[in-house]
This record gives sequence, structure tokens and C-alpha cells, in this order.
Amino acid sequence: MHSRRVYALCLRMVSNPADAEDLAQEAFLQLFRKIGTFRGESAFSTWLHRMTVNVVLMRLRKKTLPTDSLEETVDPDAENSGPKRDVGTADLRLSGAVDRVNLERSIEKLPPGYKTVFVLHDVQGFEHNEIASIMGCSVGNSKSQLHKARTRLRELLQEEVRDQARQERQAAKSHTGPES
Amino acid sequence: MQCKELEAVLEHEGLAPLPPAARAHLTKCMACQGFFADLTTIQSLAQELPAEANPPERLWVSLRAQLTAEGLIREQVELAPATPWWQSFAAWLRPRTLATAAAGIVLLVTGVFLSQKRMTQPVAVIPNPAAVSPVSPRVVPPVQNSAVTPRPSPTEEAMANGGMVLNQAELAVPNMQLAGNSTVDASLRDNLRTVNEFIAECQQHLKQHPEDELAREYLESAYQQKAELLAAMMESGGSEH
Repeated sequence: MHSRRVYALCLRMVSNPADAEDLAQEAFLQLFRKIGTFRGESAFSTWLHRMTVNVVLMRLRKKTLPTDSLEETVDPDAENSGPKRDVGTADLRLSGAVDRVNLERSIEKLPPGYKTVFVLHDVQGFEHNEIASIMGCSVGNSKSQLHKARTRLRELLQEEVRDQARQERQAAKSHTGPES
Repeated sequence: MQCKELEAVLEHEGLAPLPPAARAHLTKCMACQGFFADLTTIQSLAQELPAEANPPERLWVSLRAQLTAEGLIREQVELAPATPWWQSFAAWLRPRTLATAAAGIVLLVTGVFLSQKRMTQPVAVIPNPAAVSPVSPRVVPPVQNSAVTPRPSPTEEAMANGGMVLNQAELAVPNMQLAGNSTVDASLRDNLRTVNEFIAECQQHLKQHPEDELAREYLESAYQQKAELLAAMMESGGSEH
């Protein structure tokens, strides 16, 4: 059971089966190397996921991040970090317009810090106190990161919906164009 | 409540349950209503995503290889085919094998002594006053033969020693885990109990009738059976550990 969750987390974080396999192997290697240091202060699952997250984030830090930096998303005191919403503006409604495929594609685009908290909480079902233990942050920071991740996802999904609508309009235009 | 305050509530309290003030604001503000609905949609869609995925089998092969290379685990050693002949001598040094061998040796020695005794022991003569010559030094009078308590012969000593070795070997049996087949285990233990009772019976009889060769043969045979039983039990126990 743990291995399936660890592999799923790796897969969700890197979106590449080969890399995910590599990361899961590294996580389990760490598990065997450090099993002697497990003192039962946290649940075994939390301990294992902490190692996995560390392995994944370490790997992602080594790679060049094309859009957002990790520091931007994991710093709890950064007032200006994360997405901002123009409160009161009219938005597209996502309900009925997005599905799991859209969501998965948008999750891939999230910065690693947001992605980790979002996957752990909303996909894997960890509580904020567990995520705080896994990520080595406060419960408040975990909540804040999750909210920002959801808000950012909303923006990404709205972009997807707009793109889809634009493509459909263009397709319809090119389809009806020669006839008129 | 203002829109920014609602967002702070959503950030710190999550999507549900909302406090009354936040719910009241949502009924009035369409933008916040849409925002809240979208976050709820995202959350419910995310909960439908698979939280588990099967890693490929090669991951475990690779992990095992890595762990073996680091010495964190050891590969399971395959038995019989790859073992060189000289390594089989090590098997003879196991305590159980030694005990079995010792029991076998004791039996062999007992057998040798018994056969020597048969060859050298004078034949008991049925008392027949007519046949007995008063000067014949070879024939022992039967009265004298039965009246004098005989010194333990080498055969009896060997049998007594053999019995002691077997009893020592038997001490290991109660704590021994046999091959895992409880029926075989129970059967072996039952047989051992029966043989022990028979040995005790023979010994008792021989104390009262030391001249009874048949009882002696029965005792010898019982010791042999016991040794075989113990050897079988030790081998079964050895295969388990």
C-alpha cells in the first residue's frame, strides 16, 4: 500500500513514469538506509512521505524550473508570493466545464511547493498537521499553501477553458468559412 | 464581511463548514459565489484522482540490486546445486548432526560388544546332575550362576552408556520444532513415548532376570529404534532451522 502511494506521489510530482520510478526507488533506498532512525514519533506513513517529498523536491531543485521558483512557494512569510485574485471580477465558472484531464494537466503546471501540498491534501487525503510534519512547516502554512494552490489551479483551469473555447470557435469558423 | 475577509476565511478554515458571516456574504456576492464554487469543483475533482498507482516490477528488482550492493540486504543463497563438495563437511559440524552421529556410534559399539559377548559367553547349562562332572572347570553350576549378582559386563556398560547418550539427545527433543507437519511431529513423539516405555519395561525385567537373553535383545532393538527415532526428529528439526 505504501509503495503504491509513494509511487503515485512521485508520478504526480514529476509527471513522467521513468522519473517517478527513479524517485520512488530513491525514496525506498532512503527508507532502508534510515529505518534505524524511525522512532515512531509520527506515523510510519508520514515519515515515509516526508522522505519521499524531500527526495522529490531535492531532485526538482537540481533541475531548472521554467516558471516559478520553489522559494517563492514555500516561504510562509512571503506576503506577495502566490497567485492573487482580483476580487469581484467576473470569472468563468469551472463547474461542468472542466474534467479530470484538465485538472491533471493544470496540476502539472503548478509550482512544486503548491503541487506537493495540493496532492498530499486533496488527492492523497492527508490532514494539515500531517502535511506540516511531512513538509517541515506549520499547519497555518500548509493551509495557506493549499489555498494558494487551489486558487492558482483555478486560474490555470480558466485558461484551459478559454483556450478550448477559442479553439472550438476557430474550428467552427474554419469549418463554416468556405461554405459561406 | 468583505470579499477579502471571505478569502481569508477560506484560506484558514478551508471550504467547509463556513461560518455564518461567510455564508451570508456568499449569498450577496456573485463573484465570491463563483470563486467558492470553483474551489469546491477543484477539490471534488481532485478527490476523484487516483491516490495510488502500481509501480512497475522492475523498480523492486532494481531496488533489491541496489540494496544488495550497499550491503543493506543479503541475497537468498540457493542451496544444493551450487555448493562445492568441501563445504558439505561444515554440515557435519552442526550440533544436531553430531548428536545423531554420536547416537549411531553408541549403537554400533553396543552391537559389536553384544556380538563379542555371544561368541565368548559360556553357554548356560541346564542343571543335570548326571551330566555334571565335579572336575569340569568350564561348566559353571547354574545355581552359582544365578545366585551371584553379576558384575556389569562390557556389553551392559556399553548399553548403559548408549542409553545415557540417547537420553541426553532426547532432552533436546521437547523444545525442538519439527518440520512443520504437526501430524508427523505427533506421530514421532508418540512412537518415542512407546519405545521409552518398552525400554523401561525391558530394563526392569533385566534387573529381575539378568540372564534373559531375549529381553536383552529386545532392549538392544529398542535402543536402536529410539536412536533412529531421535535421528529422524533431529533431522526434521534441523530442516526447520
